[in-house]
Amino acid sequence: MSEPFRIASLSEIEVGGAPASARWSPVRMHFDISAFGVNAWTAREDGQAVIGEHTEDSGHEELYFVASGHATFTVAGDEIDAPTGTFVFVRDPKAKRKADAKAAGTTVIALGGTPGKAFEPMGWEQSARALRHWATGDFEEAVAELSALKDQHPEEPGLVYNLACAESRSGQTDEALAHLREAVELNDDFRELAEKDEDFDPIREDPRFASAVAGQAGAGRPGP
Amino acid sequence: MSAYEVAHLDELDRFRIDEQGLVWRPVRRRFGIRAFGTNAYTAEKAGDRVVEEHREAQNGHEELYFVVSGRATFTLEDEEHDVPAGTFVFCRPGTKRGAIAAEDGTTVFAMGARAGMPHEISGWEGIFVAFGYLRNGDEERGREAIEAAIAERPNEWQGYFNAACFESLTGHKDAAIAHLNRAIELNPEAREAARKDEDFDPIRDDPEFPA
Repeated sequence: MSEPFRIASLSEIEVGGAPASARWSPVRMHFDISAFGVNAWTAREDGQAVIGEHTEDSGHEELYFVASGHATFTVAGDEIDAPTGTFVFVRDPKAKRKADAKAAGTTVIALGGTPGKAFEPMGWEQSARALRHWATGDFEEAVAELSALKDQHPEEPGLVYNLACAESRSGQTDEALAHLREAVELNDDFRELAEKDEDFDPIREDPRFASAVAGQAGAGRPGP
Repeated sequence: MSAYEVAHLDELDRFRIDEQGLVWRPVRRRFGIRAFGTNAYTAEKAGDRVVEEHREAQNGHEELYFVVSGRATFTLEDEEHDVPAGTFVFCRPGTKRGAIAAEDGTTVFAMGARAGMPHEISGWEGIFVAFGYLRNGDEERGREAIEAAIAERPNEWQGYFNAACFESLTGHKDAAIAHLNRAIELNPEAREAARKDEDFDPIRDDPEFPA
């Protein structure tokens, strides 16, 4: 029987990640919540993305709450000023949304679920846990963890993308290109992200990178 | 329907729902969220209630509370816990929980749903709105809210029972008795509940009072 209650502050739930990205608090996983999705992100510096640009392929309705600081949301192309205490509810899963922190320390809590369906935890959360290895530079361990997760969630786009990032960082160029192509095929949003993502700097000059990002067949395979 | 909506905490409705200072700020209802339940509660002064004492035993909700501002003293299974702003409290269904503000202006953000089931909007929301309007001095909107709550669940006794309470408290004896009769017809337990409920004191001695 699980314990009847648990208490934790935001800072106790944080998982180390890439220094260039906001601190992630995997709230749902921390408490082992199974009825709805909930996570929080805290900006380390001014201007940092607290909610990366995405759509909800899961079909989730998402409610964002600015718990501290000040954020600027962009939803369906509209810019929204969101000081502490602001709720932003995105009803349409297809609406593109993102949020940038105006100040370091800005925290956004995100809640999600699909109307009419029982909640199911998503593979990306587990894959995002492997981001703690970015802080220590142990990319081989990240590859091992993410590869094992990919066996359980073979078509989770975020997981495949993170695996490609870790492989790129650890010098596994062929694998990185293959998984990057796969991630872009699963979710087109990763095309733009990969163009700017420093994780791919080690393989960006590879002649096969452009076709991998374009999601074309043949990328990532050894050349003739 | 628009793709998104924005509202600040300060713009949410305020419904006082007990005599201990608990003020309900409907979030799910404001946005028409269907996938999970979510609300905020504020306490103006230290010592006011900020989470109602309850167990979530009937609806089986897992509930997560986040102290947005101020500080709250949570009582969880009879243990007291000091919970400052920036802290989460997670309760599994059946856990006895409640909280009192330890500072003026304490706000708690609550989220909940039942594991393994599509979310169903809680029936208590419509009833809380009705009595919230009544406490805010707007009897007419309160009555509209309670009629809407009955229309949403026409075969459940609770809506009629609460409508009977509402009409008793507002001096409409005949309407109160008609609603209470309907509640008893749907569930005879309503009779016993009515005997214990102080809301019926104004009409209890009426010969037609059915409990």
